[in-house]
Amino acid sequence: MIVVGVDIGNSTTEACVASVVEGRVEYSGTALTRTTGVKGTPDNTEGAVSAVRRALNGRTPDLVLLNEATPVISGLAMETISETIITESTMIGHNPATPGGSGIGVGTTVSIDALVSATGPTIAVVPAGWDFDDVAHEITSSGADVVAAVLAHDDAVLVCNRLRTPIPVVDEVGAVEKVPLGMLAAVEVAPPGRTIRTLSDSYGLASVFGLDPDQTRQVSPVARALTGNRSAVVVRTPSGDVTDRRIPVGTLTLTGAGKTQRVDVDAGAEEIMATLARVQPLDDATGEPGTHVGGMLAQVRDTMTDVTGQPAAEIRIRDVLAVDTVVPNEVRGGLAGEVALENAVALAAMVRTSRSRMQVVADQVAEALGCRAEIGGIEGEMAVRGALTTPGTAVPIAVLDLGGGSTDAALLTSEGSSAVHVAGAGELVTKLIDSELALDDREQAEAVKRYPLAKVESFFHVRHEDGTVQFFAEPLPSHVFARVVTMTPEGPAPVQTRHTVDHVRRVRREAKRKVFAVNALRALRQVAPQGSLRLLDFVVLLGGSALDFEIPELIADALAPHGVVCGIGNVHGTEGPRNAVASGLVDAWVSR
Amino acid sequence: MTAPAAERSLTLKEVGQAQRGSRPDEVVIAVSPAFADPFTKTIVEVPHAEVIRQILAGIEEQGVHARMIKVWDTADLAAVAHIGARLSGSGISVGLLSRGTTMIHQRDLPRLSNLELFPQSPLLDAEVFRLIGSNAAQYAKGESPAPVPTRNDQMARPRWQAKAALLHLKEYECIVAGRRPVEVEPVISRLS
Amino acid sequence: MTTTEGRRSKRTEILEARPVNLDGFVEEWPEKGLVAMESDFDPTPSVRVEDGRIVELDGRARADFDFMDTFIADHALDVETAEEVNAIPSIEIARMLVDPRATRDEVIAVGRGLTPAKILDVVKLMNVVEIMMAMQKMRARRTPANQAHSTSAKDNPIQVAADAAEGALRGFAELETTLGVVRYAPLVAIALQVGGQVGRGGVLTQCALEEATELELGMRGITAYAETISVYGTESVFVDGDDTPWSKTFLAGAYASRGIKMRFTSGTGSEVQMGNAEGRSMLYLEIRCILMAKGAGVQGLQNGSISCIGVPGAVPGGIRAVAAENLIASWMDLECASGNDQSFSHSSMRRVSRALPQLLPGTDFVCSGYSGVPNADNMFAGSNFDVEDYDDWNTIQRDLQVDGGLRHVREPEILQVREKAARALQAVFAELDLPPITDAEVEAAVYAHGSGDYPDRDVLEDLKGAQAVMDRGVTGLDLVKALERTGFHDVAENLLTVLRQRVSGDLLQTSAILTDDFVPLSAINDANDYGGPGSGYRLEGERWEQLKKLRHVTSAENPETEVS
Repeated sequence: MIVVGVDIGNSTTEACVASVVEGRVEYSGTALTRTTGVKGTPDNTEGAVSAVRRALNGRTPDLVLLNEATPVISGLAMETISETIITESTMIGHNPATPGGSGIGVGTTVSIDALVSATGPTIAVVPAGWDFDDVAHEITSSGADVVAAVLAHDDAVLVCNRLRTPIPVVDEVGAVEKVPLGMLAAVEVAPPGRTIRTLSDSYGLASVFGLDPDQTRQVSPVARALTGNRSAVVVRTPSGDVTDRRIPVGTLTLTGAGKTQRVDVDAGAEEIMATLARVQPLDDATGEPGTHVGGMLAQVRDTMTDVTGQPAAEIRIRDVLAVDTVVPNEVRGGLAGEVALENAVALAAMVRTSRSRMQVVADQVAEALGCRAEIGGIEGEMAVRGALTTPGTAVPIAVLDLGGGSTDAALLTSEGSSAVHVAGAGELVTKLIDSELALDDREQAEAVKRYPLAKVESFFHVRHEDGTVQFFAEPLPSHVFARVVTMTPEGPAPVQTRHTVDHVRRVRREAKRKVFAVNALRALRQVAPQGSLRLLDFVVLLGGSALDFEIPELIADALAPHGVVCGIGNVHGTEGPRNAVASGLVDAWVSR
Repeated sequence: MTAPAAERSLTLKEVGQAQRGSRPDEVVIAVSPAFADPFTKTIVEVPHAEVIRQILAGIEEQGVHARMIKVWDTADLAAVAHIGARLSGSGISVGLLSRGTTMIHQRDLPRLSNLELFPQSPLLDAEVFRLIGSNAAQYAKGESPAPVPTRNDQMARPRWQAKAALLHLKEYECIVAGRRPVEVEPVISRLS
Repeated sequence: MTTTEGRRSKRTEILEARPVNLDGFVEEWPEKGLVAMESDFDPTPSVRVEDGRIVELDGRARADFDFMDTFIADHALDVETAEEVNAIPSIEIARMLVDPRATRDEVIAVGRGLTPAKILDVVKLMNVVEIMMAMQKMRARRTPANQAHSTSAKDNPIQVAADAAEGALRGFAELETTLGVVRYAPLVAIALQVGGQVGRGGVLTQCALEEATELELGMRGITAYAETISVYGTESVFVDGDDTPWSKTFLAGAYASRGIKMRFTSGTGSEVQMGNAEGRSMLYLEIRCILMAKGAGVQGLQNGSISCIGVPGAVPGGIRAVAAENLIASWMDLECASGNDQSFSHSSMRRVSRALPQLLPGTDFVCSGYSGVPNADNMFAGSNFDVEDYDDWNTIQRDLQVDGGLRHVREPEILQVREKAARALQAVFAELDLPPITDAEVEAAVYAHGSGDYPDRDVLEDLKGAQAVMDRGVTGLDLVKALERTGFHDVAENLLTVLRQRVSGDLLQTSAILTDDFVPLSAINDANDYGGPGSGYRLEGERWEQLKKLRHVTSAENPETEVS
């Protein structure tokens, strides 16, 4: 008879067809489709039927086995927890690409059209609308002792090249009209490839402005903010400052193991996860109303209510994962659109319910296909069974299923099995990559996640992220020239970033590690005997993300210190890490 | 720019047959047969002096060198730009037609392709020409600048389609078939 | 008389500020081909036939033919009658065109053998009223029709479907779409097809793309016809686009092999715009295009300058030349989709006057096309008319008692088809496993005007879905099945009937469209029999009653109310 196993996941529904003759199983087809509706609800019927039909490819089924998929709703929110503010327009630190001259100039800020009447060392401040030729002419002919300049337009090199002696010039200052005039200021530009030494040093500032010890201490955040810049401007204002402010974003309330703990979200991921550890196993989590995190947790609960009919009060958030990340944000009070990397916390949450509506799905599938349909078993168990068809595996065996919305672990020993789901998976990785690289484009972030990087160095060759060079017989398309690209199956796709390949690669690997490596440990600890990873021998990786080119290796690296060997599943020796649950359902049924 | 805008004139002094450059930090600006003489401004009356001045400024600000050539035997923008790219030490060129249509080209690209194309000449002003020069210089340095943002105007066709056709025909008349490209020195003099 | 230096007339200032003065106008330059149709540099008509072959055409010997001359001489001209008809004085032929008592068949018989220069010679004798008079008789299909664009600045398929439905309901017989992002094509083409059939069964749809992709979509039955296959009047310009008359003919043959309707596209001004008019006038070169299309055997031509309209529009007599090129296409017994499809003037007065030579006599498609979406969403870079002109158009039809293919429809009906189209598309997307369309999007589609009124879609997912459509080999039949399975039986039936036409080949006939009863209406069974007053297509009877309706008409029965 023809038996079809169907695994309904959060994002994909997989079907596996087998013909069973006298207890012998012969697998003959698989198919993959997008899950329709929320996993574990009657909406899944369409996707299930579609996948089964595709896998059958014209044959008639006798029996369809579905997994006991309980709805899992996952949610994701990001909260920025720091903010940089410059007061009194006291500094300019946007680090333009082409400043002029080099050295440091200290003087009084004077507008360029008032240069003729300036006395003493002067810093020319030039608004928008001045042509670079005229700026150079005015500086040269005014008779003023101009020691540096600050420009609105991107003209620093042009102006410098037209002066008799070069002076440090900082340009591209968008809000140059906010530069305080008539004040003591300093402009410093370092030679190409180098960084400033004076304005990024508290004592340097003290020397330049003649500060006493108290004032020096007060001005040190400015020095710190300018560290690493090639150019900078500091204006000595009465109480100008740059502060890195923590933004209060409310508390997260975690309940579990008979305790309730509160933690400030702006305390950061480590603090949140440490608090979570103290209340494991988590019973419920709530956030503060009016915050992103609070809103997300409430929404996840509401969606579950809509889907299952279970009252919101009965729904529990079973797991959260907090990850530290950075979000580039414009600095408040900046004069040149300065962008600072602000701290942020990304929170993934997961809610599940024991109420299953899979019987409805089974009934509808049976009707649509004209055959019997049964609920086969709990997916954790089925996943393990499927994983066991990987050549070289044996009981006891642990399985790590890396999905889009959650990371799942299961353990099968001679005594029985256990399974667990934790929040945070592929979607969170994409979100982290998107925000840290300021791509604002999910498609690109996905591509960065999935494919290795390269730099297009000419129309005929790229340098891969591992340093090797690849040549092409046909010229590459013009839109990838000189860009950092992802090597997708359709060809190189540009990444809209000014960062280097190394930087993007680092962000990508860190994002995967922060989510998958961390979650691998978290999930496995919960199924491991006595919570000890050492007692696990084999871990098989399953799921879409197990196909990723580096996630398995990152997880293996994280597990190695605990003496755990892991490898990618190869269901039936042919399907790779896919279709484990679907095949597991068939196997379980046959062996009954 | 400073109001009132300074008036300038552009003369292209011929200095000899255009040769392939060896320095990798140069951008070649390649102009069409009628550029600067007899035409002196673009279709929307941006003076050629200002066009070249801004492109040169964009290149100079990036710390890159510029060299100019005049192409005589074609008025096809892609051909003009590609000839410039093949002569450029960095392989990067900016090609210009008298009416203002511009492109940034690279020597390994097919002639009909380009790095960046600015096909709507009526929408190009001094600021855009400066950015074009800047981007060309960044490509020459191996950097990856964000493409210069292009505007789109639906009513550009009714307004300018015919004048563009007319200017194109006039430019075609200035073609000297068979004459090799010439290196020129742009002399920009202030008139006011 | 003294004038104060610098003082301007107030009237001048007002006139300077008029929209028409934003348009572009140039002087003629006949040597370069920058002239509409009156040029001393166009060749003198001549033809010589030897042993059943044309050995001289308009002053050129066969040894000097370029490939356009060769193609026209070998495939377009009737060798049997050529010498005879070219000897008829042009004034006589011009009068035959205008005189209602000379039948269409008689005039076509003469036209069949005329050379390009001779044809030009004939129409030069006709003023624009005479051209319109001739157009009335020479168009191939008796019943005039109209074509619309349905596109979206965000390539939003729901918008395209809803506006296609509204356009079809208002009366367009053909609908055309194109993309900003080419990869979106499969989804948008499906939307156009489904939306069109909801509006009224029998509407024909096309998706303007790069030629190989467009052919594939047509072969799969996701589109019903093709139009944007371009031909040019000089060899140099043709070759610049990497084509020859033979390669274009081969492409036409590929469509014909599947029973898919298609036409070529050409237009005055394209050659001079590309700097290669070879000293010929715009109309002379366009006549070569028309004859090339004739020689290739395609059933019709889209012309009327099309995207080069700014060029003839800028020279004296340019719009007269455009009217003439439409007439000549019809005279050569081709279906004519007569332009009026590209923005060309800031002046509302000019936009209308330019269209009168097609609207008043009637052509196979008065516009090719009218923008069925706001111009800001028009991905053909803007049309001469858009949705905001609907009421003006309907009023002009009523004022002059002419049938421009459209009618006023009341809002409740419009909202109903828009909703149905969005729902049908929602169902089709679900059946085909494509990214879902939410109820919020359906609701938005009902009341929307432009793309800003719709929720943004997940473009990444849509593009994956579009690729899946191509990879999985989805065809028009899959759309029919999907519509049937989800309860849209009537729409499924409509689409299936449209697809069936490929088997009968009826849509390969000249000027074929489908009525809402799916009866093919073409030059074969709806031949234009205009022969003077009281004959041919007249706006009368039930159709006239329909076109009398506008948005606000005071009731005669009760002047305190409006006709509902």
